[in-house]
Amino acid sequence: MMKRILALSLVAAAVSSSVHADVRINGFANLIGGITSSDDTLYGYDDNIGFGEESLFAIQVSGDINDRMTATGQLVARGSDDYEVDFEWAYLTFEATDNTNISAGRFRLPLFRYSASLDVGYSYHWVNAPRSVYSVPFNNLDGLRVDYSNYAGDWEYNLQLSAGTIDNDFTTAGQDANFKGDNVIVLSAEAQYEALKLRGVIGRAKSTVDVPALAPAIGQLRSISPELADLVEFEDDTGEFLGFGVEYDAFDWFVSAEVTSIEATDSYNPDTIAYYATAGIRYGKWTPSLTYEATDADDGPKLLDRVAGFPAPFQGPLTQLLVGIQQSFVEKNDTITAGVRYDYDTNVAFKADVSKYTDDIDESSDATLVRFAVNYVF
Amino acid sequence: MLRKHALLAATLTLLTSFSAAAATTVIVHPSNAAALDEKSVQRIFLGKEKKFSDGVESIPINQVADSAVRGDFDENVLGRSSAQVSAYWSKLVFTGKGVPPKEVSSDADVIELVSKNPSAIGYVDSASVTGDVKAVSLN
Repeated sequence: MMKRILALSLVAAAVSSSVHADVRINGFANLIGGITSSDDTLYGYDDNIGFGEESLFAIQVSGDINDRMTATGQLVARGSDDYEVDFEWAYLTFEATDNTNISAGRFRLPLFRYSASLDVGYSYHWVNAPRSVYSVPFNNLDGLRVDYSNYAGDWEYNLQLSAGTIDNDFTTAGQDANFKGDNVIVLSAEAQYEALKLRGVIGRAKSTVDVPALAPAIGQLRSISPELADLVEFEDDTGEFLGFGVEYDAFDWFVSAEVTSIEATDSYNPDTIAYYATAGIRYGKWTPSLTYEATDADDGPKLLDRVAGFPAPFQGPLTQLLVGIQQSFVEKNDTITAGVRYDYDTNVAFKADVSKYTDDIDESSDATLVRFAVNYVF
Repeated sequence: MLRKHALLAATLTLLTSFSAAAATTVIVHPSNAAALDEKSVQRIFLGKEKKFSDGVESIPINQVADSAVRGDFDENVLGRSSAQVSAYWSKLVFTGKGVPPKEVSSDADVIELVSKNPSAIGYVDSASVTGDVKAVSLN
């Protein structure tokens, strides 16, 4: 009996060696090149062909600490950072039950449908995920995440609760900036029934966005009205994120859409609605698709109604400062992208797309971009 | 008796496979009495379910990506192309949420592993099924 158990467990170990192996190394790479129509710029590309803007190479190492604990680290080298290698994710996962995982460390915040695999070009049909929705400065979280997945009848569902802090340098309106989020809490839920998938997410954080280039203007405002300066400043303000997604994937064809809303009421940040809708056909190894995306962050400047309460001589400068501070963040644009993916192999895909960007605020920013990509996973 | 049946089935499959694409059969250990349908096989092979209906751990065994039987299994049982299945796993792997099933390179390897492990579940060309394993009807 003992012998039999031993023999079985040896075979089981051999069969499941990929599950219980000590260390797994996986990787992925996106090589993306792009060129815009003459004198245009979009997503960092210009009318000379460029490869650095969106290309990246990454290696993931994960090891099983014991039956229930795994350590994972992801090293990413991005062309936009001169291919400097950065530990973007590092976390421990504890498999509490067959349905519940608890992760701790730094990981991607599950805000969007493709958040988790945003960098893995092979996992989606686009050259890159729609910027209007996906390009937010709070993608990675330091903290805890609880994942629960199960099914009821033919419905499969997944719940994720994340909590922690965010600290991220980024660029906004062409200026260097830093986003800090404290007490971040995000709840996301996903349900799938046959070909239909629904997704909802709600999150909030005590947020601070520091844009050094704004400091002089806010300083001037503060010298007239500290109260207005506090209101327009983006410091320790509650930021709220809402998202909804739907997908219908009938294998031969698919449609999907996501819409998100970002609000930080007491700040210069305009309320932002962003969405995309995409549809594609799978024809053998070919997946042609069309995507429409848009950003609307153009509600008019906030706080102007407060100016009337000030003595007349101050009203002009106050209006000018309030409008000036907010105006650079106003955004209203849309983009149409036609693309195609070709599955060269089960770990290599080739893609090409052409995007037409229309800027409703500044017509001179309109641009057309052609991109091509090779995605690799191993 | 079982062997004869399998042989007959194999012969029939061979005959029919001239007109149709090779049929794929899901196989488990002969002692495995768990209820299995297409949905539960999908869930096991996509990492959504880690146990059989009777509570025994399930270990899916995949075939290599360039084999005909893998393509047939992916398309007819999982309902996606092999490239899509691979894209699905890349999403899980790079978020630490799953590890794809181990791949072996022949029907004989699958049968060998499944015949020795009550937890194992695999698939082979219907013509390769032997009496050492139990064929599962998904209908």
